[in-house]
Amino acid sequence: MIDALKAALVLFVLCLLQLSVLTEYSSFRASSVVLVALLAIALLRGSIFGAFAGFATGLLLDTATLQTLGITSLLLTVAGFWIGRYGETTARDRFHAPYVSVAVVTVLYAFGQVLLQFMLGQPAPAGLVADGLPGALLLNLILTLPIYALARRLFPPLELGDRVREVRLLG
Amino acid sequence: MPRNRTVRLAVLGSSVQRAAHSGFPSSRSSALKRRIVVGLLVVASLVLITVSFRSSALDGVQSTGASILRPFEVAADRVTRPFRDTVGWFRGLVHAKSENAKLRTQVDDLRRQVILEQTDVQENAAFKRLLDYKGPPSVADFKQVPTSVLANPLGAVDASVTISAGARDGITNGSIVVEPTGHNGTGALVGRVDRVFNDVSRVMLLTDDLSGVVATDVANPQVVGVVRRGSGDSNTLILDRVPKQPRVLRNDIIITAGTEGGGPLQSIFPRGIPIGRVSSESDNDFNLFKNVQIQPFADFSSIGSVIVLVPRADAG
Repeated sequence: MIDALKAALVLFVLCLLQLSVLTEYSSFRASSVVLVALLAIALLRGSIFGAFAGFATGLLLDTATLQTLGITSLLLTVAGFWIGRYGETTARDRFHAPYVSVAVVTVLYAFGQVLLQFMLGQPAPAGLVADGLPGALLLNLILTLPIYALARRLFPPLELGDRVREVRLLG
Repeated sequence: MPRNRTVRLAVLGSSVQRAAHSGFPSSRSSALKRRIVVGLLVVASLVLITVSFRSSALDGVQSTGASILRPFEVAADRVTRPFRDTVGWFRGLVHAKSENAKLRTQVDDLRRQVILEQTDVQENAAFKRLLDYKGPPSVADFKQVPTSVLANPLGAVDASVTISAGARDGITNGSIVVEPTGHNGTGALVGRVDRVFNDVSRVMLLTDDLSGVVATDVANPQVVGVVRRGSGDSNTLILDRVPKQPRVLRNDIIITAGTEGGGPLQSIFPRGIPIGRVSSESDNDFNLFKNVQIQPFADFSSIGSVIVLVPRADAG
Protein backbone atom coordinates (compact mmCIF):
# COMPACT_ATOMS: atom_id res chain seq x y z
CA MET A 1 0.00 0.00 0.00
CA ILE A 2 2.84 2.39 0.88
CA ASP A 3 4.55 1.44 -2.37
CA ALA A 4 1.37 2.27 -4.30
CA LEU A 5 1.13 5.70 -2.65
CA LYS A 6 4.79 6.40 -3.29
CA ALA A 7 4.45 5.32 -6.93
CA ALA A 8 1.32 7.47 -7.37
CA LEU A 9 3.07 10.53 -5.95
CA VAL A 10 6.26 10.04 -7.98
CA LEU A 11 4.39 9.47 -11.25
CA PHE A 12 2.03 12.39 -10.61
CA VAL A 13 4.90 14.80 -9.99
CA LEU A 14 6.78 13.51 -13.03
CA CYS A 15 3.66 13.86 -15.20
CA LEU A 16 3.38 17.52 -14.14
CA LEU A 17 7.08 18.03 -14.81
CA GLN A 18 6.78 16.42 -18.23
CA LEU A 19 3.65 18.34 -19.23
CA SER A 20 4.43 21.77 -17.83
CA VAL A 21 8.19 21.99 -18.07
CA LEU A 22 9.99 19.44 -20.19
CA THR A 23 7.73 19.59 -23.25
CA GLU A 24 8.64 23.27 -23.55
CA TYR A 25 12.06 22.11 -24.75
CA SER A 26 11.88 20.46 -28.16
CA SER A 27 14.65 17.97 -27.34
CA PHE A 28 12.55 16.58 -24.49
CA ARG A 29 9.38 16.43 -26.61
CA ALA A 30 9.81 12.87 -27.86
CA SER A 31 11.56 11.48 -24.82
CA SER A 32 9.53 10.79 -21.71
CA VAL A 33 10.65 10.98 -18.13
CA VAL A 34 7.30 9.45 -17.14
CA LEU A 35 7.84 6.38 -19.31
CA VAL A 36 11.32 5.81 -17.90
CA ALA A 37 10.08 6.17 -14.31
CA LEU A 38 7.16 3.82 -14.95
CA LEU A 39 9.45 1.17 -16.39
CA ALA A 40 11.87 1.51 -13.46
CA ILE A 41 9.01 1.04 -10.98
CA ALA A 42 7.59 -1.89 -12.95
CA LEU A 43 10.99 -3.59 -13.02
CA LEU A 44 11.30 -3.25 -9.27
CA ARG A 45 7.73 -4.08 -8.30
CA GLY A 46 6.50 -6.57 -10.88
CA SER A 47 3.88 -7.02 -13.55
CA ILE A 48 0.62 -6.33 -11.69
CA PHE A 49 1.99 -3.22 -10.03
CA GLY A 50 3.44 -2.10 -13.39
CA ALA A 51 0.15 -2.65 -15.21
CA PHE A 52 -1.86 -0.65 -12.64
CA ALA A 53 0.73 2.14 -12.57
CA GLY A 54 0.74 2.28 -16.38
CA PHE A 55 -3.04 2.44 -16.60
CA ALA A 56 -3.33 5.24 -14.04
CA THR A 57 -0.43 7.23 -15.53
CA GLY A 58 -1.89 6.95 -19.01
CA LEU A 59 -5.27 8.13 -17.79
CA LEU A 60 -3.65 11.12 -16.11
CA LEU A 61 -1.71 12.09 -19.23
CA ASP A 62 -4.74 11.72 -21.51
CA THR A 63 -6.88 13.78 -19.14
CA ALA A 64 -4.30 16.56 -18.85
CA THR A 65 -3.69 16.81 -22.60
CA LEU A 66 -7.40 16.44 -23.48
CA GLN A 67 -6.61 13.57 -25.83
CA THR A 68 -8.82 10.55 -26.52
CA LEU A 69 -9.02 8.75 -23.17
CA GLY A 70 -7.51 5.28 -23.04
CA ILE A 71 -4.85 5.45 -25.78
CA THR A 72 -1.91 6.20 -23.49
CA SER A 73 -3.45 3.99 -20.79
CA LEU A 74 -3.49 1.01 -23.13
CA LEU A 75 0.11 1.50 -24.22
CA LEU A 76 1.44 2.12 -20.72
CA THR A 77 -0.56 -0.77 -19.21
CA VAL A 78 1.01 -3.19 -21.67
CA ALA A 79 4.46 -1.61 -21.20
CA GLY A 80 4.21 -1.72 -17.39
CA PHE A 81 2.97 -5.30 -17.37
CA TRP A 82 5.56 -6.57 -19.83
CA ILE A 83 8.54 -4.93 -18.16
CA GLY A 84 7.22 -5.93 -14.73
CA ARG A 85 7.10 -9.53 -15.92
CA TYR A 86 10.63 -9.17 -17.27
CA GLY A 87 11.68 -7.86 -13.84
CA GLU A 88 10.06 -10.84 -12.12
CA THR A 89 11.76 -13.38 -14.33
CA THR A 90 14.91 -12.98 -16.41
CA ALA A 91 15.88 -9.43 -15.44
CA ARG A 92 16.54 -10.14 -11.76
CA ASP A 93 19.75 -8.45 -10.61
CA ARG A 94 20.91 -7.78 -14.15
CA PHE A 95 22.67 -4.46 -14.62
CA HIS A 96 21.49 -4.00 -18.19
CA ALA A 97 17.80 -4.73 -17.47
CA PRO A 98 16.60 -1.10 -17.10
CA TYR A 99 18.48 0.02 -20.20
CA VAL A 100 17.21 -2.84 -22.33
CA SER A 101 13.67 -2.25 -21.05
CA VAL A 102 13.75 1.49 -21.76
CA ALA A 103 15.29 1.04 -25.22
CA VAL A 104 12.79 -1.60 -26.33
CA VAL A 105 9.73 0.11 -24.86
CA THR A 106 10.68 3.56 -26.22
CA VAL A 107 10.68 2.15 -29.75
CA LEU A 108 7.56 0.03 -29.30
CA TYR A 109 5.69 2.83 -27.50
CA ALA A 110 6.39 5.29 -30.33
CA PHE A 111 5.21 2.92 -33.04
CA GLY A 112 2.35 1.67 -30.88
CA GLN A 113 1.11 5.23 -30.65
CA VAL A 114 1.33 5.63 -34.44
CA LEU A 115 -0.50 2.34 -34.96
CA LEU A 116 -3.34 3.27 -32.59
CA GLN A 117 -3.72 6.70 -34.19
CA PHE A 118 -3.79 5.04 -37.61
CA MET A 119 -6.43 2.54 -36.50
CA LEU A 120 -8.57 5.40 -35.18
CA GLY A 121 -8.26 7.22 -38.49
CA GLN A 122 -6.23 10.03 -36.95
CA PRO A 123 -3.07 11.56 -38.46
CA ALA A 124 -0.22 9.10 -37.86
CA PRO A 125 3.05 10.63 -39.07
CA ALA A 126 5.25 7.53 -38.90
CA GLY A 127 8.14 9.24 -40.72
CA LEU A 128 8.18 12.08 -38.21
CA VAL A 129 8.13 9.61 -35.33
CA ALA A 130 10.99 7.61 -36.89
CA ASP A 131 13.00 10.83 -37.38
CA GLY A 132 12.70 11.77 -33.73
CA LEU A 133 13.26 8.26 -32.41
CA PRO A 134 17.10 8.14 -32.20
CA GLY A 135 17.17 11.36 -30.16
CA ALA A 136 14.36 10.17 -27.90
CA LEU A 137 16.06 6.81 -27.42
CA LEU A 138 19.36 8.41 -26.47
CA LEU A 139 17.76 10.86 -24.07
CA ASN A 140 15.63 8.16 -22.44
CA LEU A 141 18.71 5.97 -21.97
CA ILE A 142 20.58 8.88 -20.39
CA LEU A 143 17.60 9.55 -18.10
CA THR A 144 17.47 5.87 -17.11
CA LEU A 145 20.61 6.05 -14.95
CA PRO A 146 19.42 8.72 -12.47
CA ILE A 147 15.76 7.71 -12.57
CA TYR A 148 16.45 4.02 -11.98
CA ALA A 149 18.85 4.89 -9.15
CA LEU A 150 16.17 7.08 -7.55
CA ALA A 151 13.53 4.39 -8.07
CA ARG A 152 15.77 1.78 -6.39
CA ARG A 153 16.05 4.06 -3.35
CA LEU A 154 12.31 4.62 -3.18
CA PHE A 155 11.37 1.05 -4.04
CA PRO A 156 14.16 -1.17 -2.74
CA PRO A 157 14.30 -4.52 -4.55
CA LEU A 158 12.15 -7.09 -2.80
CA GLU A 159 13.82 -9.81 -0.77
CA LEU A 160 13.88 -13.15 -2.51
CA GLY A 161 11.36 -14.51 -0.01
CA ASP A 162 8.89 -11.73 -0.86
CA ARG A 163 9.19 -12.37 -4.54
CA VAL A 164 9.16 -16.15 -4.75
CA ARG A 165 5.81 -17.55 -3.82
CA GLU A 166 6.61 -21.27 -4.00
CA VAL A 167 9.33 -23.39 -2.47
CA ARG A 168 11.22 -25.70 -4.75
CA LEU A 169 12.67 -28.76 -3.18
CA LEU A 170 16.06 -30.08 -4.10
CA GLY A 171 17.15 -33.62 -3.87
CA MET B 1 21.96 -47.77 -8.17
CA PRO B 2 18.96 -46.01 -6.61
CA ARG B 3 19.60 -42.47 -5.34
CA ASN B 4 19.07 -41.66 -1.72
CA ARG B 5 16.13 -39.23 -1.48
CA THR B 6 15.67 -39.16 2.24
CA VAL B 7 17.20 -35.72 2.77
CA ARG B 8 15.19 -32.82 1.28
CA LEU B 9 16.38 -29.23 1.53
CA ALA B 10 14.27 -26.16 0.95
CA VAL B 11 16.12 -23.58 -1.13
CA LEU B 12 14.88 -20.68 0.92
CA GLY B 13 15.47 -22.20 4.31
CA SER B 14 12.97 -22.68 7.07
CA SER B 15 11.74 -19.07 7.21
CA VAL B 16 9.57 -19.52 4.12
CA GLN B 17 6.34 -21.38 4.75
CA ARG B 18 4.74 -23.53 2.15
CA ALA B 19 1.43 -22.10 1.01
CA ALA B 20 -1.70 -23.98 1.98
CA HIS B 21 -2.95 -26.16 -0.83
CA SER B 22 -5.68 -24.46 -2.81
CA GLY B 23 -7.52 -25.19 -6.04
CA PHE B 24 -4.54 -24.06 -8.13
CA PRO B 25 -0.88 -24.57 -7.39
CA SER B 26 0.46 -21.16 -6.27
CA SER B 27 2.42 -20.45 -9.48
CA ARG B 28 -0.62 -21.20 -11.61
CA SER B 29 -2.92 -19.06 -9.45
CA SER B 30 -0.51 -16.16 -9.56
CA ALA B 31 -0.24 -16.46 -13.35
CA LEU B 32 -4.03 -16.52 -13.59
CA LYS B 33 -4.28 -13.46 -11.35
CA ARG B 34 -1.76 -11.63 -13.52
CA ARG B 35 -3.66 -12.47 -16.67
CA ILE B 36 -7.00 -11.42 -15.20
CA VAL B 37 -5.59 -8.08 -14.00
CA VAL B 38 -3.87 -7.16 -17.24
CA GLY B 39 -6.86 -8.38 -19.24
CA LEU B 40 -9.24 -6.21 -17.24
CA LEU B 41 -6.99 -3.16 -17.58
CA VAL B 42 -6.61 -3.65 -21.34
CA VAL B 43 -10.38 -4.08 -21.73
CA ALA B 44 -10.95 -0.95 -19.60
CA SER B 45 -8.55 0.99 -21.85
CA LEU B 46 -10.31 -0.22 -24.98
CA VAL B 47 -13.70 0.73 -23.55
CA LEU B 48 -12.34 4.18 -22.69
CA ILE B 49 -10.98 4.61 -26.22
CA THR B 50 -14.26 3.54 -27.79
CA VAL B 51 -16.49 5.70 -25.60
CA SER B 52 -14.18 8.72 -25.67
CA PHE B 53 -13.62 8.53 -29.43
CA ARG B 54 -17.17 7.80 -30.53
CA SER B 55 -19.18 9.99 -28.20
CA SER B 56 -18.93 12.87 -25.80
CA ALA B 57 -20.15 10.80 -22.83
CA LEU B 58 -16.81 11.09 -21.06
CA ASP B 59 -16.31 14.80 -21.78
CA GLY B 60 -17.78 15.79 -18.41
CA VAL B 61 -15.43 13.44 -16.57
CA GLN B 62 -12.46 14.62 -18.61
CA SER B 63 -13.43 18.25 -18.05
CA THR B 64 -13.63 17.73 -14.29
CA GLY B 65 -10.31 15.86 -14.30
CA ALA B 66 -8.64 18.60 -16.34
CA SER B 67 -10.08 21.28 -14.01
CA ILE B 68 -8.69 19.42 -10.99
CA LEU B 69 -5.27 19.09 -12.63
CA ARG B 70 -5.15 22.72 -13.77
CA PRO B 71 -4.00 24.29 -10.45
CA PHE B 72 -1.24 21.67 -10.15
CA GLU B 73 -0.03 22.39 -13.67
CA VAL B 74 -0.09 26.15 -13.05
CA ALA B 75 1.78 25.63 -9.76
CA ALA B 76 4.41 23.44 -11.47
CA ASP B 77 4.82 26.10 -14.15
CA ARG B 78 5.26 28.89 -11.57
CA VAL B 79 7.64 26.94 -9.36
CA THR B 80 9.92 26.04 -12.26
CA ARG B 81 9.67 29.39 -14.09
CA PRO B 82 12.71 31.04 -12.38
CA PHE B 83 14.90 28.04 -13.27
CA ARG B 84 13.71 28.03 -16.85
CA ASP B 85 14.24 31.78 -17.11
CA THR B 86 17.80 31.32 -15.87
CA VAL B 87 18.45 28.59 -18.44
CA GLY B 88 16.89 30.76 -21.14
CA TRP B 89 19.05 33.72 -20.11
CA PHE B 90 22.27 31.72 -20.44
CA ARG B 91 21.13 30.17 -23.72
CA GLY B 92 20.32 33.63 -25.03
CA LEU B 93 23.80 34.88 -24.16
CA VAL B 94 25.42 32.38 -26.53
CA HIS B 95 23.82 33.94 -29.61
CA ALA B 96 23.35 37.44 -28.25
CA LYS B 97 26.24 39.16 -30.04
CA SER B 98 25.55 37.88 -33.56
CA GLU B 99 21.80 38.32 -33.07
CA ASN B 100 22.30 41.89 -31.89
CA ALA B 101 24.15 42.88 -35.07
CA LYS B 102 21.53 41.19 -37.24
CA LEU B 103 18.66 42.86 -35.39
CA ARG B 104 20.26 46.33 -35.64
CA THR B 105 20.42 46.00 -39.43
CA GLN B 106 16.84 44.75 -39.47
CA VAL B 107 15.64 47.64 -37.29
CA ASP B 108 17.20 50.19 -39.66
CA ASP B 109 15.51 48.54 -42.67
CA LEU B 110 12.16 48.32 -40.92
CA ARG B 111 12.31 51.94 -39.72
CA ARG B 112 12.66 53.12 -43.33
CA GLN B 113 9.84 50.79 -44.40
CA VAL B 114 7.52 52.01 -41.63
CA ILE B 115 8.01 55.66 -42.61
CA LEU B 116 7.10 54.83 -46.22
CA GLU B 117 4.11 52.71 -45.24
CA GLN B 118 2.63 55.12 -42.71
CA THR B 119 1.60 57.44 -45.52
CA ASP B 120 -0.07 54.54 -47.36
CA VAL B 121 -1.96 53.48 -44.23
CA GLN B 122 -3.29 57.00 -43.69
CA GLU B 123 -4.38 57.24 -47.33
CA ASN B 124 -6.01 53.82 -47.12
CA ALA B 125 -8.00 54.82 -44.02
CA ALA B 126 -9.12 58.04 -45.67
CA PHE B 127 -10.29 56.23 -48.82
CA LYS B 128 -12.18 53.62 -46.76
CA ARG B 129 -14.00 56.39 -44.90
CA LEU B 130 -14.86 58.20 -48.12
CA LEU B 131 -16.20 55.06 -49.83
CA ASP B 132 -17.82 53.64 -46.67
CA TYR B 133 -15.99 50.41 -47.50
CA LYS B 134 -17.06 47.19 -45.67
CA GLY B 135 -14.19 44.71 -45.87
CA PRO B 136 -13.93 41.12 -44.61
CA PRO B 137 -13.76 40.59 -40.83
CA SER B 138 -10.46 41.66 -39.35
CA VAL B 139 -8.68 41.00 -36.06
CA ALA B 140 -10.25 44.17 -34.65
CA ASP B 141 -13.66 42.44 -34.75
CA PHE B 142 -12.50 39.93 -32.14
CA LYS B 143 -12.16 40.09 -28.37
CA GLN B 144 -8.74 38.96 -27.15
CA VAL B 145 -8.37 36.41 -24.36
CA PRO B 146 -4.74 36.08 -23.24
CA THR B 147 -3.98 32.73 -21.65
CA SER B 148 -1.09 30.48 -20.72
CA VAL B 149 -0.22 27.09 -22.18
CA LEU B 150 -0.62 24.26 -19.69
CA ALA B 151 0.84 21.45 -21.76
CA ASN B 152 2.85 21.45 -24.97
CA PRO B 153 2.68 18.52 -27.42
CA LEU B 154 3.84 15.26 -25.85
CA GLY B 155 5.44 13.75 -28.93
CA ALA B 156 5.70 13.74 -32.70
CA VAL B 157 2.21 12.24 -33.05
CA ASP B 158 0.67 15.03 -31.00
CA ALA B 159 0.28 18.49 -32.57
CA SER B 160 -1.88 20.21 -29.98
CA VAL B 161 -1.43 22.28 -26.84
CA THR B 162 -3.67 22.62 -23.80
CA ILE B 163 -4.49 26.18 -22.70
CA SER B 164 -5.83 27.39 -19.38
CA ALA B 165 -8.97 29.09 -20.70
CA GLY B 166 -12.25 27.51 -21.66
CA ALA B 167 -15.95 28.03 -22.23
CA ARG B 168 -16.17 30.21 -19.10
CA ASP B 169 -13.88 32.74 -20.85
CA GLY B 170 -16.05 32.81 -23.95
CA ILE B 171 -13.92 30.41 -25.97
CA THR B 172 -15.79 28.28 -28.47
CA ASN B 173 -14.88 25.48 -30.82
CA GLY B 174 -13.01 27.05 -33.73
CA SER B 175 -11.73 30.11 -31.87
CA ILE B 176 -8.53 31.42 -33.44
CA VAL B 177 -5.28 31.29 -31.50
CA VAL B 178 -2.35 33.64 -32.14
CA GLU B 179 0.99 34.36 -30.52
CA PRO B 180 1.06 37.27 -28.06
CA THR B 181 4.00 38.92 -29.85
CA GLY B 182 2.35 41.48 -32.13
CA HIS B 183 0.36 44.47 -30.94
CA ASN B 184 -3.48 44.44 -31.04
CA GLY B 185 -3.64 40.66 -31.45
CA THR B 186 -1.67 40.60 -34.67
CA GLY B 187 0.81 37.98 -33.50
CA ALA B 188 1.55 35.00 -35.69
CA LEU B 189 -1.14 32.37 -36.19
CA VAL B 190 -0.74 29.33 -33.94
CA GLY B 191 -3.89 27.33 -34.73
CA ARG B 192 -7.49 27.02 -33.65
CA VAL B 193 -9.38 25.60 -30.70
CA ASP B 194 -10.73 22.13 -31.44
CA ARG B 195 -11.94 21.01 -28.01
CA VAL B 196 -13.46 23.18 -25.29
CA PHE B 197 -14.15 22.39 -21.66
CA ASN B 198 -15.18 24.75 -18.87
CA ASP B 199 -11.70 25.83 -17.74
CA VAL B 200 -9.35 24.38 -20.33
CA SER B 201 -9.26 23.96 -24.09
CA ARG B 202 -7.20 22.12 -26.65
CA VAL B 203 -5.62 24.01 -29.55
CA MET B 204 -4.95 22.24 -32.83
CA LEU B 205 -1.66 23.65 -34.10
CA LEU B 206 -1.01 24.56 -37.72
CA THR B 207 1.38 21.58 -37.79
CA ASP B 208 -1.50 19.12 -37.28
CA ASP B 209 -2.30 16.99 -40.32
CA LEU B 210 -5.98 17.94 -40.04
CA SER B 211 -5.26 21.68 -40.05
CA GLY B 212 -5.79 23.79 -43.17
CA VAL B 213 -5.90 27.59 -43.44
CA VAL B 214 -6.70 29.60 -46.55
CA ALA B 215 -3.81 32.02 -46.97
CA THR B 216 -2.44 34.58 -49.36
CA ASP B 217 0.79 36.38 -50.21
CA VAL B 218 0.99 39.97 -48.92
CA ALA B 219 3.08 41.03 -51.91
CA ASN B 220 0.80 39.34 -54.43
CA PRO B 221 -2.84 38.91 -53.30
CA GLN B 222 -3.60 36.79 -56.40
CA VAL B 223 -1.66 33.97 -54.78
CA VAL B 224 -4.17 32.02 -52.70
CA GLY B 225 -3.53 28.56 -51.25
CA VAL B 226 -4.06 26.37 -48.22
CA VAL B 227 -1.45 26.28 -45.47
CA ARG B 228 -0.83 22.70 -44.31
CA ARG B 229 1.81 20.76 -42.44
CA GLY B 230 4.87 20.07 -44.58
CA SER B 231 6.68 16.78 -44.77
CA GLY B 232 9.93 16.29 -42.89
CA ASP B 233 10.60 18.86 -40.18
CA SER B 234 7.58 19.16 -37.93
CA ASN B 235 7.91 22.96 -37.87
CA THR B 236 7.71 23.46 -41.64
CA LEU B 237 4.49 24.37 -43.40
CA ILE B 238 3.56 24.37 -47.07
CA LEU B 239 1.28 26.61 -49.08
CA ASP B 240 -0.66 24.02 -51.04
CA ARG B 241 -2.84 24.41 -54.16
CA VAL B 242 -1.05 27.49 -55.50
CA PRO B 243 -1.34 27.60 -59.30
CA LYS B 244 1.89 28.03 -61.26
CA GLN B 245 0.91 31.36 -62.78
CA PRO B 246 1.07 33.96 -60.00
CA ARG B 247 4.63 34.59 -58.85
CA VAL B 248 5.65 33.72 -55.32
CA LEU B 249 9.06 34.93 -54.21
CA ARG B 250 11.31 33.81 -51.40
CA ASN B 251 10.86 35.86 -48.22
CA ASP B 252 7.32 36.89 -49.19
CA ILE B 253 5.05 37.09 -46.16
CA ILE B 254 2.04 34.76 -46.03
CA ILE B 255 -1.07 35.88 -44.15
CA THR B 256 -4.56 34.47 -43.63
CA ALA B 257 -6.76 35.26 -46.61
CA GLY B 258 -10.10 35.51 -44.83
CA THR B 259 -13.22 35.56 -47.00
CA GLU B 260 -14.29 38.40 -49.25
CA GLY B 261 -18.03 39.05 -49.20
CA GLY B 262 -20.74 36.79 -47.74
CA GLY B 263 -21.64 33.20 -48.46
CA PRO B 264 -22.12 29.97 -46.55
CA LEU B 265 -18.48 28.81 -46.71
CA GLN B 266 -16.70 31.65 -44.95
CA SER B 267 -13.21 31.14 -43.59
CA ILE B 268 -13.18 31.20 -39.79
CA PHE B 269 -9.90 33.12 -39.91
CA PRO B 270 -10.04 36.90 -40.36
CA ARG B 271 -7.82 38.38 -43.02
CA GLY B 272 -4.35 39.58 -42.17
CA ILE B 273 -3.02 37.27 -39.46
CA PRO B 274 0.65 36.64 -40.25
CA ILE B 275 1.56 32.97 -40.73
CA GLY B 276 5.12 32.85 -42.00
CA ARG B 277 7.69 33.67 -44.65
CA VAL B 278 8.25 31.76 -47.90
CA SER B 279 11.46 29.78 -47.45
CA SER B 280 11.52 28.08 -50.86
CA GLU B 281 9.39 27.78 -53.99
CA SER B 282 9.70 25.53 -57.00
CA ASP B 283 7.61 23.81 -59.61
CA ASN B 284 7.98 20.91 -62.03
CA ASP B 285 6.20 19.56 -65.09
CA PHE B 286 4.53 16.70 -63.22
CA ASN B 287 2.82 18.82 -60.61
CA LEU B 288 -0.20 21.00 -61.29
CA PHE B 289 0.67 23.30 -58.41
CA LYS B 290 3.72 25.09 -57.09
CA ASN B 291 5.74 23.72 -54.17
CA VAL B 292 5.84 26.57 -51.67
CA GLN B 293 7.45 26.00 -48.29
CA ILE B 294 6.82 28.38 -45.42
CA GLN B 295 8.89 29.00 -42.34
CA PRO B 296 6.25 29.86 -39.73
CA PHE B 297 6.66 32.93 -37.52
CA ALA B 298 5.34 31.00 -34.52
CA ASP B 299 7.73 28.63 -32.80
CA PHE B 300 5.56 25.54 -32.34
CA SER B 301 8.25 23.73 -30.41
CA SER B 302 7.88 26.00 -27.41
CA ILE B 303 4.72 27.97 -26.79
CA GLY B 304 4.43 29.62 -23.39
CA SER B 305 1.33 31.75 -23.80
CA VAL B 306 -1.18 32.62 -26.51
CA ILE B 307 -4.05 34.97 -27.32
CA VAL B 308 -7.41 33.48 -28.25
CA LEU B 309 -9.54 35.59 -30.59
CA VAL B 310 -13.20 35.33 -29.63
CA PRO B 311 -15.87 36.95 -31.83
CA ARG B 312 -17.36 40.04 -30.15
CA ALA B 313 -21.00 39.73 -29.20
CA ASP B 314 -21.81 42.93 -31.13
CA ALA B 315 -19.90 41.80 -34.26
CA GLY B 316 -22.92 40.07 -35.66
